Amino acid sequence: MRIEARNLDTGYSGHPVGHGLSILAESGSVLCLLGPNGSGKTTLFKTLLGLIPARGGEVLIGDARLQALPRAEVARRVAYVPQAHAAPFAYSAEEIVLMGRTARLGLLSQPGERDREAALAALSRLGIADLAPADYTRLSGGQRQLVLIARALAQETPTLVMDEPTASLDFGNQAIVLREIAALAKSGLTIILSTHDPDHAFAIGTRVALLHEGNILCTGSPEKALTADALSTVYGVPVQVERAPSGRITCLPDFGDRT
Amino acid sequence: MTRLQHAVLGLAALATAALVAIVTAPPPAQARTIVDSAGRSVEVPDTVTRVFAAGPPASILVYALKPDALLGWPRAIRGEERPYIAPAYRDLPETGRLTGRGGEANLERVLALKPDLIIDFGSVRDTYVDLANRVQEQTGIPYILVNGRFEETADSLRLVGQALGVAERGEMLARDVEVTFAELDAILADVPQESRPRVYLARGPDGLETGMKGSINTEIIERAGGRNVAEAPGQYGLVRASPEQVILANPDTIITWDRNFHRAVWSDPLWAGIEAVQRKRVYLSPTAPFGWIDRPPSLNRMMGLKWLAGLFYPQRWQGELREEARAFYRLWYHVDLSKGELDGLLEWASGRAP
Amino acid sequence: MGERARTLTRDGFRRGAGRGTIGLLVAAVALLSMGALLVGPFPLGPFEAIGRLLDAIAGRDAAGDAATTVLVSIRLPRIAGALLVGAALAAAGACYQTLFRNPLVSPDILGVSAGAGLGAVLGIFLSLPVAAIQFMGFAGGLGAVALVGFVAAAIRHGDRTLILVLAGVVVGALTGAATSLLKVLADPYDQLPAITFWLLGSLAGVKGEDIWPAAPVVLAGLVPLVLLRWRINVLSLGDEEARALGIEAARLRLAVVVCATLVTASVVAIAGVVGWVGLVIPHIARMLVGPGFGRLLPVAALLGAAYLLVVDTLARTISSVEVPLGILTAVVGAPFFLWLLARGRRAWA
Repeated sequence: MRIEARNLDTGYSGHPVGHGLSILAESGSVLCLLGPNGSGKTTLFKTLLGLIPARGGEVLIGDARLQALPRAEVARRVAYVPQAHAAPFAYSAEEIVLMGRTARLGLLSQPGERDREAALAALSRLGIADLAPADYTRLSGGQRQLVLIARALAQETPTLVMDEPTASLDFGNQAIVLREIAALAKSGLTIILSTHDPDHAFAIGTRVALLHEGNILCTGSPEKALTADALSTVYGVPVQVERAPSGRITCLPDFGDRT
Repeated sequence: MTRLQHAVLGLAALATAALVAIVTAPPPAQARTIVDSAGRSVEVPDTVTRVFAAGPPASILVYALKPDALLGWPRAIRGEERPYIAPAYRDLPETGRLTGRGGEANLERVLALKPDLIIDFGSVRDTYVDLANRVQEQTGIPYILVNGRFEETADSLRLVGQALGVAERGEMLARDVEVTFAELDAILADVPQESRPRVYLARGPDGLETGMKGSINTEIIERAGGRNVAEAPGQYGLVRASPEQVILANPDTIITWDRNFHRAVWSDPLWAGIEAVQRKRVYLSPTAPFGWIDRPPSLNRMMGLKWLAGLFYPQRWQGELREEARAFYRLWYHVDLSKGELDGLLEWASGRAP
Repeated sequence: MGERARTLTRDGFRRGAGRGTIGLLVAAVALLSMGALLVGPFPLGPFEAIGRLLDAIAGRDAAGDAATTVLVSIRLPRIAGALLVGAALAAAGACYQTLFRNPLVSPDILGVSAGAGLGAVLGIFLSLPVAAIQFMGFAGGLGAVALVGFVAAAIRHGDRTLILVLAGVVVGALTGAATSLLKVLADPYDQLPAITFWLLGSLAGVKGEDIWPAAPVVLAGLVPLVLLRWRINVLSLGDEEARALGIEAARLRLAVVVCATLVTASVVAIAGVVGWVGLVIPHIARMLVGPGFGRLLPVAALLGAAYLLVVDTLARTISSVEVPLGILTAVVGAPFFLWLLARGRRAWA
């Protein structure tokens, strides 16, 4: 299922953020959104999910306009992974993941055995099944992030929108999550994520969109869009893009002459 | 000199002038010293014509003794109370209470009324002594505290009669009180405690508020020869009772002034088993112009005393209620009740409130 | 690994624990009720009491018999009242705490008690009969919360929950001021004591005829809460996440507020303002069975019922006069709350 934004204006009343944003994410691909803090990534995501109304333009999820879809139908089409947060009450990780099943339950129903299996499967897939009974409020930031991703998986949607899914993870967990995201895309899901690390875009991005001051500076494949010039402009520091001997492309900010 | 300096100098001059005025102010031209119920010596002017009543009990005291001196009612006289106050005093302004919780009466407003004297009738405990001293110091108006206990009524009447310059009327009313008390004592002399009626004072819309024995709100019960069933050592004042406690106490007489309660009690299963209800001895007190048994606890209780004596001891009490009410309202409240007004009052006292 | 995870999950989910707790609590409430039926100032042996009760049930009602009246017309309604009020306040507290994502919230947060207080005080001020005073209390509670809702809806920006809470604070303060004004204007010898006692809360005068109208309203409020229990969980993640998970957050919140307000207002109307139950009991419930609303709600309700029954039984037995309920619940509740605070973060769980 594809997600498309056409000429989208985002922001809050009296406080516009993004202007004329057009993005497209196809099935089986990963769209990476890059941009510095305050460039409007999170606002764009909230608009894509219908959590805040668009100030102009439109969002298409599959063949339907976002506004025409009821809340539960949106949640059956798009799952959202917010940045790891603290829950007010000590739910178990499994309960948090189970909440991902809500859109698949009737108004008055409770999650059943099948939902529990889906939740457990999602946790297992990320290798954190042993966290299931743990108190969510006592998990580390990285563990919480993984639980939230598991919740999105339990939602069993064809598309995922992830707000900086690797931000609070340690080096190893970053690798696990990136590998999992790539695998999910391979299995046919549509994934849109934001990241601060251009390397991640090079690693798993099918396409990237570079946000700068509320506008999309450029889009395309990572190799084409993430040029040293573009990254230097957006982040305001000199950047070099190099190909490592392994064939992976990495991005190196210039820290100045160390000699 | 700057403007500020001018202002400061001006203020200083003003303050000095004020200080001089205070220090050199002449004492009241003629004054007497009255020792009030709390033992305070208070300088009172020779002729007292304007009295501020600190609370409802005091206003009744002043009204009974010297109505022309009363500056206003702490609570305005309303609706059905009006016919029972002499026309000249029905429309006196509402002045608020100076005592009690918060003290609503504004001291400036008290001063604006230019009273010669402030009278409080009720508790003479330290809090009230202190309040009286403070108000007296702040306003310069003599403030006397009068004991509101029922037993002290005659003495209190004499004291205030003197203070207001109506000693003869004070003496007359005090005698009236003493006569009533003496008549009661005479008929109660050979009634042992066990055979006196067991009385419950029902307050509040559900009748479950009551006054403990020994509180000022229930003194009239013992004075009229009843026994208050709400009795516990060390507990005074208004309390809430549970229905179970009332059933356990099983009073044979209930007195109230709450019409809602009086109307509901007859058909209420909770109260159905209580002796007073079964014997139809739940009595509604009239409250015009003031309550007969309390509300406020002041001279108005003298009327209730006669009424209760008749209810408790119908064989022994000689008085006839109609005649007693007519005489009492004339003597104490300065009103000659018409037949209709008297009928209304007596119907009220027999359970049919207006 | 898979097997291990599965068993862990079962334990962690605390389902079995929840059911056991509920069973235990039901038994405890039943036992306490029977015990409460047997204590009171009126001397009545246990066998006599049971005999009288059976007589009354069989219709062999000795009319006007004091012992039967005490059992059937006083203790039974009072016990039922304590159970109903305790359960309702604790359930509403659990609801509001989950809804507002804050364990320090009590059912009064949206001004229902302040509104009910104003309504009832106005009733006393106008010298209305008891039933009318209760109805005014109920209407006042609903009115205050409705006003809060309208004020919050009129403010179109900012965090919805925060605005709702602030509107509740403002309306609560205003109704409190109006209540104080009525206290100043009220007849000091007649109405003021009645007002004071009402605001302190009491079950002293509760009768069957007070319970019958209130119970269905409480039930009508509780049933949707039970049915919506899963979604109320999700709402505790915050509006945005709940909506991303497919919930119409605004509508659900409105439904929960309406239900919890109905529940609270109907019991405040019969018992007056009884504090602390709705604040402290949901905490204990959460410590026992975790925050999952499906278990939290029944456990909080049962605990609340048991707690208020015990406190009210104390209120009518420890002294020769009634101790106002609000005083006792505060005396028991406040130190406990401090202890919870001192235990630290885990207490919020």
